[in-house]
Amino acid sequence: MKTARFMLPLSLMLVSLTLLGCPKKPPKSAPVAAPVVSAPVAPTTEIRAETSPGTLSDQVEVDPLADPDIASLNAHVRDRGLLGDVYFDFDRAELRGEARERLARNGEFLRSRPEFLVTIEGHCDERGTNEYNLALGERRATATRDYLVSLGVAASRIRIISYGEERPVCRESNESCWGQNRRSHFIVTGRGGA
Amino acid sequence: MPRLHRSDPPVRHWSLAGLGLLLVFAVGLAAQQPTPAPAPETPPAGTPPDQVTLVLQPGDRPLLRLAFPALAPLAAPAPAEAQAAARELEEALRADLLAAGIFSLQGPAELAPLELTGDLRHDFEQYRSLGNEVVLLGELKLEGDRLALEGRIFDLPSGQAILGKRYRGTFDIARRIAHTFADEIVLHFTGRRGVALTSIAFYSDRDGEKEIYLMDYDGRNQRRITAHRSISMSPAWSPTGDAVAYVSFFAGSGPAIYLADIASGLKRPVVTSGSLNTSPSFSPDGRRLTFARSLGSNIEIFVCERDGSGLRQLTYSSGIDTNPAWSPSGREIAFTSSRGTGRPQIYVMDAEGSNLRRITFAGEYNDGAAWSPDGTRIAYSARQANGQFAIGVSDLVTLDSRLLVVGNGSHESPSFSPDGRRIAFTSTRGGRSQIHVVGAEGGESRALTSQGNNYAPDWSGYPQ
Repeated sequence: MKTARFMLPLSLMLVSLTLLGCPKKPPKSAPVAAPVVSAPVAPTTEIRAETSPGTLSDQVEVDPLADPDIASLNAHVRDRGLLGDVYFDFDRAELRGEARERLARNGEFLRSRPEFLVTIEGHCDERGTNEYNLALGERRATATRDYLVSLGVAASRIRIISYGEERPVCRESNESCWGQNRRSHFIVTGRGGA
Repeated sequence: MPRLHRSDPPVRHWSLAGLGLLLVFAVGLAAQQPTPAPAPETPPAGTPPDQVTLVLQPGDRPLLRLAFPALAPLAAPAPAEAQAAARELEEALRADLLAAGIFSLQGPAELAPLELTGDLRHDFEQYRSLGNEVVLLGELKLEGDRLALEGRIFDLPSGQAILGKRYRGTFDIARRIAHTFADEIVLHFTGRRGVALTSIAFYSDRDGEKEIYLMDYDGRNQRRITAHRSISMSPAWSPTGDAVAYVSFFAGSGPAIYLADIASGLKRPVVTSGSLNTSPSFSPDGRRLTFARSLGSNIEIFVCERDGSGLRQLTYSSGIDTNPAWSPSGREIAFTSSRGTGRPQIYVMDAEGSNLRRITFAGEYNDGAAWSPDGTRIAYSARQANGQFAIGVSDLVTLDSRLLVVGNGSHESPSFSPDGRRIAFTSTRGGRSQIHVVGAEGGESRALTSQGNNYAPDWSGYPQ
């Protein structure tokens, strides 16, 4: 949690340093630099100390979770498996053991980033009716949310939506595909008050 | 048995003797008992055959043998546009009468061997010689920029005229002229108006995203009525056909209910709050809607006024309650619930939410209740052991059920035609999901759509 709080101003500073290091940009009036003025100075020194000579941009890792672009933020969350999907049994909306384990990790991540707002999408395989699947997807999303809330994630940060069988991730008619489609899927939708 | 003729025969030029109509049937029944009703494609396993006749109404009636020679063509010279309209009218009339399912039709090809002289008495004998019981003689006329159709039906044994009609309209509504006459003919022979002027709403991904579409009862004139570029689904006609309620995700906050005005094309929100609002169904007076709704926890059945006001919850169960369908009488609502078993089954309750009773007992998974127009039967999607769906029908008095369409693909989302004689449904027979129509007694189904995937037909009421 401490590192999380720390990373945001730090990354902004690093971005600004990168910009300053670039000769083509106007050095002083860049609006991105503005927040740096009030931020602590010490981290800048630390990084410089660890950085070998060369262009700063080659060395600096910007916190991807601070990315203001929600789409690339979600891509990062997905690639790192930070908010993995939760899978369900055929026709059911109850959480299996492995789903609870997955949700424990998702919940830990969400508690570490209290500014993130998320939507939980409930999905179904194609083997039900469209109408009942919309309801079943809602139940899956609801069960997923309720478990996260029981783990200490604020309910106000979570929105749910059911897509039923209308947005499958896999389009073949076999058990492997169906299993992938019976899921709760997480999307970071924005940043709000922690 | 044949139905009684209407009490007020709408004949304008020709006086209809109700006696003559009954005579047609009396003769028809006596003369040709061997003509069997079309056999169901898949015999209902374990169902005694007489149960079918008991539960389902008109199909056991023998087909009436109708001679329908070519309409007398437009007098030359007629503009090409008029001739095209005339051809379209005749083709539509033949298709309508065939689709009506009450006639065994002999057209120009079958009647070609006859020696017709134009002398009615002689010609009637000729038509009769091929086993026909009635003949439809029609004439097309060009009247300015309009096409006129005069059609007469004669009882062949007696030579009595039993129906005569005259219609006129512009070329572009040639099909509607045919549909109007066909519906009148069906009304005369069955006591119930035909459905050739009705429409079917459905949703399709043919243009990319799922949108709402309409088509004529025969699959003609398919047109898109939404452009939300999201997921739009579950269309439901208002009883008068002036609007279609539907579900769309386009606002981004979960499925919500909207109303499309057919005449203006305007869409307006009905219920959009909450996390889920699905499967709308109109009350028969058109003033209210029932639908499934969730506020982020349980999914329950609600009702509201047509404009979304007066929201009221009808069910309170911890299971899923969804997909309600208002009964034709307005007194009851059928819906799907997973209460008790954890699997969806069809229930009926009074429209105030009381007097709940379960309707389906066969199978683990039944959804999508559709009332027959007379309120005696409910059709639904019944999941089979192989995971495919069949169309099931349950009798509400006996609770007997049987499968109407089963095998060779998955069949879902039934909807009765307003005369109760046909059922539209979604079928994957042939690969993709298409809208099919089948007789309410079963038999061979016919695909009405072919582009993209098509789902959830809702048959309109009679046009007002």
